[in-house]
Amino acid sequence: MSLKLIRPRYGTFSGGIDLPDEKDATLESPITPIEHLSHLYVPLAPVHTTPAKPIVSIGQRVHQGEKIAQSSGDGQVDIFAPVAGRVSKFCQVILPVNTPASLCQNRDEYIIGWRVSPAIELVDLDEFEPFPSTSSTYDWLAADDISLCERIAEGGLITFNQRTVALANYISAARNAGVDTLIANVMENTPYITSDHRILTERGLEVIGGLSIIARAMKVSNVILAVDHRRTDSYRQAIAPSRLHGIRTIALANKYPIGSTAIIIRVLTRRRVRAEGEGLEVGVAVVDAATCLATYRWVVFGEVPAARVVTVSGPAVKNPANLLIPFGAEVGEVFASAGAEPDCVTIHGSVMTGNEIIKCTTPTGESIPAVVSASTNALLAMDQQSASDDVTPTPCIRCGWCSDSCPFRLNVAALNDDFELGRINSAKRRGCMYCIDCGICSYICPARLPLARRIKLLKLAIVEETARR
Amino acid sequence: MNDLLKQPASLNHGRLIWSRPKHYAPFIHLPESSRNIYRVIFIAASLPLMAGIVIFGWRALMVTILSVAGCVITESAYYRITQTPAMHGRMHGAVTGLLLALTLPATVPWYVPITAAVFATIIGKALFGGMGHFLWQPALVGRLAVTVIFAPPLFNTNLVAPAKWSVLAQNRVILGDVCKAKQIEIYHQWQGTPPPTDCDAFKLPRPRKILRKLTLSTDQPPESITSVILKMPPAEDLILGTHGGGIGETSAVIIILAGLYLIHRSYIRSYLPGMFMLAAAITAAVAPVRTGDGLSWQWCPITAEGIEIGFIYVAYHLASGELLLAGWLLATEMTSRPITASAQAIFGILCGAAAMLMRLYLDFPIPAYAAVLLGNTFTPLLDAAVRPRALKRTPHEFYEKI
Repeated sequence: MSLKLIRPRYGTFSGGIDLPDEKDATLESPITPIEHLSHLYVPLAPVHTTPAKPIVSIGQRVHQGEKIAQSSGDGQVDIFAPVAGRVSKFCQVILPVNTPASLCQNRDEYIIGWRVSPAIELVDLDEFEPFPSTSSTYDWLAADDISLCERIAEGGLITFNQRTVALANYISAARNAGVDTLIANVMENTPYITSDHRILTERGLEVIGGLSIIARAMKVSNVILAVDHRRTDSYRQAIAPSRLHGIRTIALANKYPIGSTAIIIRVLTRRRVRAEGEGLEVGVAVVDAATCLATYRWVVFGEVPAARVVTVSGPAVKNPANLLIPFGAEVGEVFASAGAEPDCVTIHGSVMTGNEIIKCTTPTGESIPAVVSASTNALLAMDQQSASDDVTPTPCIRCGWCSDSCPFRLNVAALNDDFELGRINSAKRRGCMYCIDCGICSYICPARLPLARRIKLLKLAIVEETARR
Repeated sequence: MNDLLKQPASLNHGRLIWSRPKHYAPFIHLPESSRNIYRVIFIAASLPLMAGIVIFGWRALMVTILSVAGCVITESAYYRITQTPAMHGRMHGAVTGLLLALTLPATVPWYVPITAAVFATIIGKALFGGMGHFLWQPALVGRLAVTVIFAPPLFNTNLVAPAKWSVLAQNRVILGDVCKAKQIEIYHQWQGTPPPTDCDAFKLPRPRKILRKLTLSTDQPPESITSVILKMPPAEDLILGTHGGGIGETSAVIIILAGLYLIHRSYIRSYLPGMFMLAAAITAAVAPVRTGDGLSWQWCPITAEGIEIGFIYVAYHLASGELLLAGWLLATEMTSRPITASAQAIFGILCGAAAMLMRLYLDFPIPAYAAVLLGNTFTPLLDAAVRPRALKRTPHEFYEKI
């Protein structure tokens, strides 16, 4: 019996860096619902598979939470109207793609970072009503795991992380894989983003409830809530009842990228995830705070997932805030309401791993908007200077900082040589596929080489080369 | 790979027109650039230069100016003539020129630093493809070239490696002319020794040369290690650097200070100079020296005449000559050293051991610099052989799993 069993200590990992925090602007600002939305483009394929089939007609009036599209199987979920309004037309929106190279089906989507999804445009919107205080309709404490799974499948719940999947499918995959550990990942250690922090601070009880619902549906007993050690004071009251549900709360050091799935599994369970693999393969499921909250709201109150908390921040935003934004809100409208400067770089997601919001038009000149979806944890606006720094890449001077800081110990400088010389097999042998796109190498490079981008393209080339053989 | 690089300004995929992203993640950068790194290294390398100016006078500054200007002008001229873009080459050229000047004696005539600068820039750097691509440390390439050129077969006297080196006397520092030097007979210590009449400096053999009598078979072998140590200048001379040598080679304390500053700025990793010094010390402690009769060899000089004498012998070896400069400032040059920490440690061991072995058994004027050049030759090999393992997996596992 060692001391480890009595008081297990959770370590850190080699590599990684301390990023600037920059969260002061929104750390204390409460979650507020967004106001004055004119349009809503509700995407019909939040999960990257076959889109759902609309079951409404143009001109029809829908109320909040009404089903507007029916899932056609294939891992897709039912779509509900986030806000009451009138169906104006069927259109298209663009959503970010964060699938790993080995699972990516469309080469262009991987290179661009965005995909097109059909959508339903709602106009004449009513005021958005968040978290209506209805009474509990479902006694989840008395329900068994099968009925909880069915209940989750009915609600069209999706995971709110970067790789959006239907929550019901994720839970059944976890049950089939024999998962024994469930981690709620509330690390959130990239600059500016505070959405999960606010969710846990304000609605900690519901997050705890949602986490134990998912744990019960997965039949997992070892449940861990991983939070940032700098923010424990804000959560202490909110997550106090976690012990009643058998949830262990663990505060981890904030070294980036500990919030990444492969790293947090390694730190908390000492299991190693395959390159580009999922945590389910090693018996660990990872969810985030927004998923837990949506699960609780649906299972207990019957409120369909209609919105998510988004941090709208960045140096070029005048009024940074944590906004509760219904799915399908156009990002341009969100930035306009937050007072973003006109000539700025807008980013979907975090500054380290996100995608720049780009313009997409049909050949007829009609623009396709980018919208808020389940994977939108932040919308950030950076100045042109701070985003690019106006420095052209210079030759690699072999300082070795990229290799020193890489959390997976890849020799990034050698991978850069492989990219420049087109040596795909050599890159594969160096373990290029283990890269998790954390972006540290580009961040730290004194020669300003776009290393993360190059390795991302290298991974695509490796996958294509392997498929060709 | 090239078709991935050459993305068009707008992408036309799925009959839609996408504007090309101007920026890719990450959207923030560490406020650090290559130019800044070289600027800081220049400042750190200026510390030994200042010590050199104090000890060797204004001629040291003249040699440095000629060398730095030679490197920068050659660099600019090369890129103008060949019409290739010079990327941050000038700051790196200045660093190369400064490091080159630190290795040269202050007594050299004006054409020596300029020749060295031209060799360093053209042969050492530009022909390899400029900054970030060269194999050997350019400053040492220039130093090696002038060591070979300005030596007896071509010149009457050895300009860059004379038998006796001159040091300014204590009351003539900074402003004295180091070329006005005479040999003096009785010398105990720099402090308090007056200069010879009508002179600013006195000529002395380098401390390294006295120590090398123990191992080089050109001279009559000394009686014992103790007798050699008694002939050496006192320890303060070696620590402060008031003995013969190159402009930046002599002052042990200043060189280590400059190296520690670079370690603090994380521009060099402590493994490399640490392993360099450790390997040199172990080699000096173990490698055999000649016995008094000159017929046989005595292994492990550290224990031969008691451990106290042995430690003094090893410490003198480390503090004298160009070993410190090579280990702290020249072997740690970013481009010509290996990338990963473990490969750097091996590189340090290789360079340190080779430097000490060359000093002990080869009658060559720049053993430590030659050892660093030798180590640089193995850098690509070390980079390929010592790979960091992704999550402790060996490379062959990648083939199976992916």
